[in-house]
Amino acid sequence: MVTAYWLQGGGCGGDTFSFLSSESPNVLDLFDALDVSLLWHPSLSNGTAAEHDTLLDEILSKKRSLDILIFEGAAICGPDGSGRFDLKDGKPKISLIKDLAHVASYVVAVGTCASFGGFGAEKLIEAKGLQFTKKEKGGLLGKKFKSKSGLPVINLAGCPCHHDVISGAVSAIASGLSLELDEYQRPLEWFNTTVHQGCTRNEYHEYRVEESSFGEMGCLFFHMGCNGPLVPGPCNKVLWNQQSSKPRAGVPCFGCTDPEFPFQRPFFKTPNIEGVPISLPIGINRAHYLVYKTMAAAAAPEHLKKRTKKV
Amino acid sequence: MKEKATQINLPLNRAEGDLEVLLEVKDGRLEDAWSSGTMFRGFEDMMKGRGALDGLVVTPRICGICSLTHLTAAVEALDKLSGVRPPDNAYRLRNIALMVETVQSDVRHSILMFMVDMVNEMAYQHFNMFAEAKFRYSPMQGAMANEVIRETKRLLKIIAIIGGQWPHTSFMVPGGVTSIPDQTKILQCTMIIKKFISWYEKNILGCSLARWGEVANNDDLDNWLEESIEHRESEVGFMLRFLRMAGLDLIGSGPNRYLCFGNFPLPDKTDVTGINGKLLAAGYAEGTAVDEFSDDLISEDVSHSWYEQQDEPLHPFEGGTVPSAVSNENGRYSWVKAPRYDGKVVETGPLAEMIVNRNPLFVDLVERQGSSVLSRQLARLVRPALLLPNLMKWLEEVAQDPEAPFYEKVGAIPDGQSAGLVQAARGALGHWIKVVDERITHYQVITPTAWNGSPRDRQKNRGAWEEALIGTEIKNEENPIEAGHIVRSFDPCLVCAVHTVKK
Repeated sequence: MVTAYWLQGGGCGGDTFSFLSSESPNVLDLFDALDVSLLWHPSLSNGTAAEHDTLLDEILSKKRSLDILIFEGAAICGPDGSGRFDLKDGKPKISLIKDLAHVASYVVAVGTCASFGGFGAEKLIEAKGLQFTKKEKGGLLGKKFKSKSGLPVINLAGCPCHHDVISGAVSAIASGLSLELDEYQRPLEWFNTTVHQGCTRNEYHEYRVEESSFGEMGCLFFHMGCNGPLVPGPCNKVLWNQQSSKPRAGVPCFGCTDPEFPFQRPFFKTPNIEGVPISLPIGINRAHYLVYKTMAAAAAPEHLKKRTKKV
Repeated sequence: MKEKATQINLPLNRAEGDLEVLLEVKDGRLEDAWSSGTMFRGFEDMMKGRGALDGLVVTPRICGICSLTHLTAAVEALDKLSGVRPPDNAYRLRNIALMVETVQSDVRHSILMFMVDMVNEMAYQHFNMFAEAKFRYSPMQGAMANEVIRETKRLLKIIAIIGGQWPHTSFMVPGGVTSIPDQTKILQCTMIIKKFISWYEKNILGCSLARWGEVANNDDLDNWLEESIEHRESEVGFMLRFLRMAGLDLIGSGPNRYLCFGNFPLPDKTDVTGINGKLLAAGYAEGTAVDEFSDDLISEDVSHSWYEQQDEPLHPFEGGTVPSAVSNENGRYSWVKAPRYDGKVVETGPLAEMIVNRNPLFVDLVERQGSSVLSRQLARLVRPALLLPNLMKWLEEVAQDPEAPFYEKVGAIPDGQSAGLVQAARGALGHWIKVVDERITHYQVITPTAWNGSPRDRQKNRGAWEEALIGTEIKNEENPIEAGHIVRSFDPCLVCAVHTVKK
């Protein structure tokens, strides 16, 4: 049996509700077939508070082993580093987070708030991720933190994190698979392709047929603020709710797996210089890109220019 | 609160610490209560200086279970500010998505958050219905708990089909929606709804939506319950029998004043009928006497909250959200503000929606004995029966008119101020926004849980569920489950913990 404990800090619970929509594996199979025992989940468990306190005592005193700590929401450190903007039983929640992280074999940050601080990272609540604050390594637990398994915090980025990433990561850990991590400690299994991969608007992107107003058929990257080519994530490869993704429904990707999310610049707008986005797809040369896109636009087939192709 | 009082960490299930209710028990009764929101996230502060449209992306992240409702409130404010009336198909898709979110929330809360407390051994193991409750509601194992996870997951696919994903999409924009679903996709949504309705009829109601619609007063309800084994064993039937046996039809009476912001704007052409352009009317009721609603009468009091103090309660266009030190000095004890309507404490939620909209069954229940744990929970569990037929109609109307527009172009958002007022699953939700030069200069949100779970105001009036707790008999101070039921019947959008002060 693999034991897991789900802790929430400063967040909306969106990762929990995303998780309930997971398909491979789905939540019930995950616990049943993989023999994962969820010792506690704040929204699902029905043990009494006294039983919960006993459980926490047993885990912290190592009488009961904790294989996976799953942390959702940001570590709220304000005001002035005291953590008193988020209390449990009158004590800052951040001390409980630290204590649990040090006894767990694996520590999983689920969602961008838990991974990188997310909402409130640059503002007065002093939100931190477990091992990063935005792109800066450190976070609540410090640069050198490693859980008992020897791994640093595993960051399942996303706002919310994609449901199949959560259930996939938990099942991988429970099955003893090793997960390779990128520079921001996101598993390459789900974060080595961009959100752009698999987008049904890719033909429009290829020939630079741009959407400049909602509801047009076209690529959302050039004007509408889409971050699909800029950030890693599986949204167009493993579909949301087994159905779709935001770009497929005409909503730009907001780049929610990026350590800097939510960006301070306005959403729904692409910052650009003479029509060319300032941020270009990962790893691309600006001059080459300009030439390529100018030629591509000239070569666009009529059915795309007329936007008759569904997305 | 009292110097010599001992605080004991006592159970309310799913206690994780975002909401802590301090109870004072004397002679086996709750004498006083202080409800404390223990986390500050500073969303309103984050909004200042951001792009005018950013509320569409940021505010859904306030809440993971009603993120689309925040999106609806945010977009309504921006529609008004832009002076645009979105096309009919846009209203239909927005309403369909909001209904789906509401229905999943109603069913999930009822089974996964509320009925799971009936598995509390210490309180209910002597009930002859206990074994059945355990079979149905045990977390991760209960037959009904698992069915609810499966069925609501399927239902939510509709929002992904229309809006890309759930939770946290932003497919509603001023002027309409971003997506233009194919007819086959609409057909797929129709199939999902049909399947859900038949599951809801069989398992939740135990009868057809039409038969349930005939239940118009308390006597009808009793007759319905006796009518068949399907009715008695359905979720509604089981809940009625269990809650009555536990005496939950007699406790948890709130302020008996009800607030509803109204919901689901009607398209110009539609077969769905409503009042004043909406499916659900806005209104304020004292008892069951309904009066008109006016946004101007809303104010927020921060006298007992950890915010910078103001001389008087302020309307959300004027009020701020600047945190102050977290200490219990001067009687302050919560991050939740105290919203008041015309200076009065009100409750909001499905029951308030029913009262304001003159639903005969709930008007009768409340006229007999005010609100209770049972009337609140029943209103929540049967609300989908009222919404689902309209959802079907709007899907049919989109399918009949797929070439009609879904978006009307809106340019830059003009300077000004505006409010988006909608009904979340838990009750009245408002966003108040001011924009200058396409940047947000002011953003205030009042959530349903702020109305229901507020602390005291400067007149020392308790918040709605604080008030509902007073006088309740606590059978076992080690397990004050009654208090848990009362707070949960308001569907707090937070998990809660209870501390008790013994006197």
